[in-house]
Amino acid sequence: MTSLSQTIKRLGLQRVITLSDEHRSDWLSPVSMLLLGMIGVFFIYSAQSYSGGSSWKMQIVWMVLGFGAYSVISLINYKFFLENAHLFYWFGIMLLLPLAIQANVPGLKLPFVESRFGATRWLDFGPFSLQPSEVAKLTTLLMASSVLARSEIGTLKESIKVLLKVGFTFFIPVFLIFLEPDLGSSLVFAPMAFALLYVSNLSEKFFLSVFGLFLVGTLIIGVDIYRYQTFMEEQGLSFTEDKGAYEDQSLIPLKDYQRNRILGFVAPQVVDPAGNGVAWNRNQSLIAVSSGGLYGKGPGEGTQARLGYLPPTVAPNDFIFSVLAEESGFMGGIIVLFLYAVLLINGVRIAGLARDRFGMLLAIGVSVIFMVHIFVNIGMTIGLMPITGLPLPFLSYGGSFVLSCCVLQGFVQSVYRFRKDFS
Amino acid sequence: MNRSFVSGPRFLFVVAVVVLCFSAVFSRLLYLHVLDGEKLSRIVQDNRKSFQVINARRGNIVDSRGELLATTHEVYRVGVDPQSLKPEDFEKIPTLAALLRVPESKVRSAFETRMRTVNSEDGEVLRDIRWAKLADGVARDTLEKVRDLGIKGVYGNPEYKRIYPNTSMAAHVIGFVNLEGTAVTGVETTMDFYLKGQDGWRDGERDGLRRQLSQFNHREVAPRSGLNVELSLDMVIQHYVEEEIEAIVEEYQPGGVTIIVSEPATGYVLALANYPTYNPNVFWKSPVDAHRNRAVTDIYEPGSTFKIVPAAGAMQEGLAYPDEEFDCGEAVALYNGREVKLPSDHHHYDILSLEEIVVKSSNRGAALLGMRLGDERLHDYSQDFGFGERTGLGLPGEVNGILHDPRNWDGLTISRLPMGHAISATPIQVHMAMATVANRGVLMQPQVVRRLFDEKGNTAVSFDPVARRRVISSDTAGTLANMLEMVCRPGGTATEASLPGYQVAGKTGTTQMIIDGRYSRQHHVASFSGFFPASSPKLVITIVVEDAQLPGKAYGGVVAAPSFKRLAYECANYLGIQPVGNLSMTTTEGR
Repeated sequence: MTSLSQTIKRLGLQRVITLSDEHRSDWLSPVSMLLLGMIGVFFIYSAQSYSGGSSWKMQIVWMVLGFGAYSVISLINYKFFLENAHLFYWFGIMLLLPLAIQANVPGLKLPFVESRFGATRWLDFGPFSLQPSEVAKLTTLLMASSVLARSEIGTLKESIKVLLKVGFTFFIPVFLIFLEPDLGSSLVFAPMAFALLYVSNLSEKFFLSVFGLFLVGTLIIGVDIYRYQTFMEEQGLSFTEDKGAYEDQSLIPLKDYQRNRILGFVAPQVVDPAGNGVAWNRNQSLIAVSSGGLYGKGPGEGTQARLGYLPPTVAPNDFIFSVLAEESGFMGGIIVLFLYAVLLINGVRIAGLARDRFGMLLAIGVSVIFMVHIFVNIGMTIGLMPITGLPLPFLSYGGSFVLSCCVLQGFVQSVYRFRKDFS
Repeated sequence: MNRSFVSGPRFLFVVAVVVLCFSAVFSRLLYLHVLDGEKLSRIVQDNRKSFQVINARRGNIVDSRGELLATTHEVYRVGVDPQSLKPEDFEKIPTLAALLRVPESKVRSAFETRMRTVNSEDGEVLRDIRWAKLADGVARDTLEKVRDLGIKGVYGNPEYKRIYPNTSMAAHVIGFVNLEGTAVTGVETTMDFYLKGQDGWRDGERDGLRRQLSQFNHREVAPRSGLNVELSLDMVIQHYVEEEIEAIVEEYQPGGVTIIVSEPATGYVLALANYPTYNPNVFWKSPVDAHRNRAVTDIYEPGSTFKIVPAAGAMQEGLAYPDEEFDCGEAVALYNGREVKLPSDHHHYDILSLEEIVVKSSNRGAALLGMRLGDERLHDYSQDFGFGERTGLGLPGEVNGILHDPRNWDGLTISRLPMGHAISATPIQVHMAMATVANRGVLMQPQVVRRLFDEKGNTAVSFDPVARRRVISSDTAGTLANMLEMVCRPGGTATEASLPGYQVAGKTGTTQMIIDGRYSRQHHVASFSGFFPASSPKLVITIVVEDAQLPGKAYGGVVAAPSFKRLAYECANYLGIQPVGNLSMTTTEGR
């Protein structure tokens, strides 16, 4: 990084790219990212070694592009993003809009918009596809951070206007993503919002009441799920085949397949006694992880993924951790967890180092997004969380996601490099 | 400096949340990998490892002329691997069910159940179902139609089905293999070791779609087919015998019939049949009682057929001569210083020669002959003729029969044993005793298996004739044979058995059946055991009819002897045995 900045100086590019005074850079995060990226490529290769596929090659390309983006973002003073946050934000919304429209207007086909498996989540540009929700994640973070950075927050009453503003900022993208529909991706926004509000010193009352609401919500869903189960069993209906039967009498607008997912997590034997459908991936993933043992079966020796017990469609992306855990065992899992811990703690540390609110919020926001991804993804492969489609940063296969992760880490590096210091 | 810092406690809280999440993941990983790992990795092994047994084809059983008596057809057991089904396969369920002739619901449930709980040493575990049986015994062309449906997860494994082309013919000799493939009785059991061959096996790994992974195939051992068994039976003679049994059954509605035909010189059994019998293809439809090979498992009092033993013994020991006369008018005789009551005869006789005792089947005369021999020698001759021990025929379930040791005899035994009472024997024992006389005094081991041969017809094991012992001299045997020939002549007890020109020799037997420990006056065992031609015996035939229904007493000479004649006639024609003319008279008179 130092040599890069010297080069930039020599070339006289200071006017475009502002260099920090001390040429300081953080090394922990990029090294962790690089290691994670390499591990990811290796296990994507391994997951496909028998069934065929060359996603690992593409993943290398994405990692290289990602590091390019990382470097570029690192060299840009984050103040630039503060000033232009609304532009980025609306750009992200513009990308989401066509998806939401096509998904909800029957028969409409917009250019570049692609629907797969009943969901519209991709913009297809021929040689590559883009997942706008990944872009929106970045831009919403920028926008929310900038809103919060510009406002005074104190008691609940004082900050009600700011809260509405922030709420609106989050509502638009979450709503649009929800329309696609992509429940998993919209999941990331809530923790991000609360974390940003929390570190902005919003009154504790707010969080307590939100927590209370959350509990009430959980209770309502819990009761609904319980009624769903009783209803289905009393009517002698099949959970997998008679989807939609309960929807008419439900109090809340959930789809039965979503109920099945929740029920499948809480009580897999009820929904899927034979273990075929909802519980299949989870069972096979659990078997994969635990059969790894302490040191794993050795690279290329994992059978769950290679032999197709873990479906080949999910093994290289959502369930990459199962592949890793099977082949490298507990030790491999611990190494990956350690690298993530370095990345996260370092992010929080940089947030603490930042001496302006936007930088702090940005670093915290990035860390929370990573936290959610890591915890939800690994959690689902080891049976701690329900199955959702959240990928694992730097390990899972996926271009948009690798790029967005790199850009997010780029923000953190930028905060580190361009923060104001007390002397 | 403004309030842009994160406040101390809040910063700590954020860190705490991160640490908490990580510890949750960490401890879960620790649990799965280290504490629970071994159990689950075993599941993985079980799901993936495949050990296949490749069944060997069971050998055929043929008769002495090569006619197929038992063979093995390849059929298929069709099943489904629910893991490798595609959604469109479910639409083919009705067609598949119709092809396999199983209910649609059964196929559907097999298609839909992909995991099951298994009780293992670690308690209940979920396991993938890789195979659910749909139908058994599917023929090859049906399987090909199933294959044409293009359902990848449905396939057939070869299995073997035992077929007995001649249905109940010689069922008691051949025996059968049950549905689990275990030989239950007959030659199937005794020759099981050779028939079953050597199963092969394959050790490999499979993937999630149940494809064999040939690169992981560790070992493969090809199966070796079983050897084929050639019986000594001749299906033509067997057929005559079974027809004869049918005729007897139709005429007398007996409780049981046994007929044995063998070659005296070799001991090879040419035909053996019992009534009631069964069809080994559907053995479960007959009562177990019918599976019993009465020729070796059932015992009866041989009666007069046994008289050849005291007659042969007394002549062999030089204690009596063929024309020596015995006083058969007395009801009591002195034996070892005490008076023994003699059995009565049907007609009153006074003086009878030894030959006449045999020809007229005098009980009293036989008792006198037995007394000449004495306890020990009578017992030893009985034993030498094969009574009281298994013949070694090589069919399962054979029993020893009962021949008491002289120490256990009561005062009447010496007078009752010579007439075939106080002794129990199997039909094959009686048959072999008669065959000894026919074979010039040498007791052979009866055999039903002639040889074992491989697929190319090369003999692997040959079962040559086995002589067990010489019981009486050739001369004594010849003399006795001539007396037995007289039995079948006018004035003898078995005139019905005589076949002109064939020097038929034999002895009838009629005994009361023992029912609930008492001799029954209504139930009899009628038998005839004989051979022909007497001067150079080619066949020994024994007929035992248990509890024949006819008015009056079911004498062996009435019930069994005519069957002998018919069988002898058919066999003589079939085997080309030439009539020898009426030479025996001169021989007898010459002595």
